[in-house]
Amino acid sequence: MRGFFRWSGKWWPGIIPLTVLWGLAAWTTTAPLEADLSAQAAAALKDSVLDKTTISAAGRDITFSADAFSEQERSNAVASVEAVPGVRRVNDRTALVAEAKPFVWTIERGVGKVTLGGSAPLPVVRNKLLDAARARFAGIDIADRMDLKRGASPRFEAAAILLIGETSKLKTGKATISDLTVNLSGMARELGGREAIAAALKNLPEGYSVADDIQAPPYVFEANKDPVSGVLTLTGYVPDNAIHAAIVASAGRKFGEKIVDKLKASLGAPAGFDAVVTRALRSLSRLSTGRLVVSDRNVELSGDALYDLAGKQIRADLPKDLPRGWETKTDVSVKPSASPVDPTVCQQLFGELLERRTIQFEAGQATLLLDSIGLLDQLTETALRCQTGIIEIVGHTDSDGDASFNQTLSERRAQAVVDFLVKAGLPPNRFTPIGHGSTQPIAANDTDEGKAKNRRIDFIVRQ
Amino acid sequence: MVYLAGFHWVWLVISLLLGLAMGWIAVVHRGRGLSRSTARWLSVMILALIVAAVMHVVPGRFGYWLDLGLVMLGVYLVGCAVGSWLRDGVVSRQSSGGSTEHSSGTL
Repeated sequence: MRGFFRWSGKWWPGIIPLTVLWGLAAWTTTAPLEADLSAQAAAALKDSVLDKTTISAAGRDITFSADAFSEQERSNAVASVEAVPGVRRVNDRTALVAEAKPFVWTIERGVGKVTLGGSAPLPVVRNKLLDAARARFAGIDIADRMDLKRGASPRFEAAAILLIGETSKLKTGKATISDLTVNLSGMARELGGREAIAAALKNLPEGYSVADDIQAPPYVFEANKDPVSGVLTLTGYVPDNAIHAAIVASAGRKFGEKIVDKLKASLGAPAGFDAVVTRALRSLSRLSTGRLVVSDRNVELSGDALYDLAGKQIRADLPKDLPRGWETKTDVSVKPSASPVDPTVCQQLFGELLERRTIQFEAGQATLLLDSIGLLDQLTETALRCQTGIIEIVGHTDSDGDASFNQTLSERRAQAVVDFLVKAGLPPNRFTPIGHGSTQPIAANDTDEGKAKNRRIDFIVRQ
Repeated sequence: MVYLAGFHWVWLVISLLLGLAMGWIAVVHRGRGLSRSTARWLSVMILALIVAAVMHVVPGRFGYWLDLGLVMLGVYLVGCAVGSWLRDGVVSRQSSGGSTEHSSGTL
C-alpha cells in the first residue's frame, strides 16, 4: 500500500496531456452535446400542450420556457425535461398562459379577407378554427390574429365553429364571442340570409345568448304600369309561391293591362309584405302611368292620377292603410286633362274600357269592390271628357235568384256607380241610373262564365 | 454519468490509456514525486471541485466542462492505479527471479 502512495506521487506528469485532452474534448463535444440534449428535451415534450416553447442548452443545463394551459401540464412538462438523461439542471422559465376575462374571440369578414382574432383556449382548437375557416371561405385570405388564453367558456369550440359557418353567409360583418354572449353583425350576402342566420344561431350550445344585427339586401318588389304598351310588369321578390300566385291574381283583378310576371320567391320579406303589396297595387291601379316600389318597409308610389280627386285620395289613403312601421312616399301628380270628346267617341271609349273588364260588386250587394277602383277611375276620366249628352248607367244581373230582387239589385248597383262618379266631381244630372235585372242577358245563363258576363254595368251615352 | 460515459467514451478510453501508461512508468520512474504538502493541497482542491460538481454550483458550459474534466481525471487516476499495480507485479516477479536491476528506493 505504501508503494501505491509512492507511485501516485509520480502520476502528475500525465496531468499535462490529460489537460490537453480535456481541452480538446470540451472543444469538440460541447456543441453536439447541447444539440443532443435540446433535441431529447424537445422530444420529451412532444405530447405536452404548450405555447411559446423554447429550449436552449448551455452545457448540460437546459433553459426551458413555455406557457402551459394548466398547472398540472406545466409541472409535468418540467418533470419531463428534468428526466431527460444527461440533463444536469433545468432553468424553469415556464408560466401559465394568461387568463382572459372576458374571454373574447372574433371573426371578421371583410372584402376578400377573413380575420380570426381574440383568444383561443388551446393550440388544437385554434388550428381547428383555422381549418373550419379555410373550408368555409375557400379561396379567401384567412388572417390568424388569435392568441392563446385560458378562461374559455364550455363548448366554446362548437360555438365558434358555428359562427364561422354563419359568418360565411355575410358579405361583410363580424361575429364576437365574449364569454357566453354572441354578437353577430353585418350584411347578409343574399336575400333571406338574415333569416337563415337567425335560424342557425338557435343551434348555439346551451347557455350562449345571441344579439344579432344582420342587415340584408333590401327586399324589393316593383310594379310598373305602362299604359302605352298596356303592360303591368312585376319584378323583384315574393316570399313564396302561394303569395306569388295571390299577388298576381290580385293584380289581375285590379288591372286591365297584360301582366308580365318576373317575380322570384325568396325568404326575407318583412312581416305583412303581401297585404301591403296588395294594398299598394290598388293605388297603382288608379294611376294612368305609375311605378310602385316596395323596398323592405318602404313603399314608394309615383305616377299620374287620372283626375284631381283620385290624386288626393291616393296620397291620403295609402299611408293610412299601411300597417305601423311602414313608410310611404307618394309622388303622385295629376295627368293633364284630355281634350273633350263628342258623345259618339265617348261611347266608343266607354265600350273599350268595359269590353275586357266589368265593375265588380260584393256578391248579392250593391257595394263596389275596391278591386274595380282603377276601372272606375278610368270611366270617371272618360266621363269628364264627355261634356255633352246624358250617360245612362245600366245595371244587369244574371238569372240566379228572384227576378224582382235582381231588378232592385241592378238598379242599386247602377246607382252606386252614379254615386261614385258624382263623388268624383261630375254633375248628377248627367247620369241616369237604370236597372234591367236579368232581362237583357248577353250570354247564356247556364254556365258560370255566361253568368259572369251577364253581371255587368253598361255605359250608354244619349245625345 | 452513464450518459456522459456513453457520449464521451472515446475521450475516456484515451484518458484511461494515458493513465495506464503513466501508472506503468511511475513504478520505475526515478524522478521526485509530489511533496506531501502539494499532494494534500491538490487533494483538497480536487475534493472541492467534486463537491462543486455534485452541488451543481458552476452553471452552464463551465459546469459541463468541470464534470467532463473530473470524469476524465477520475478515469485517468484509475488507469494510473491499474498501470502501477500491473507494473509492480511484473517488477516483483523479475526481482524474485534474481534480477537486481531494480531497487525499491526513491526513483
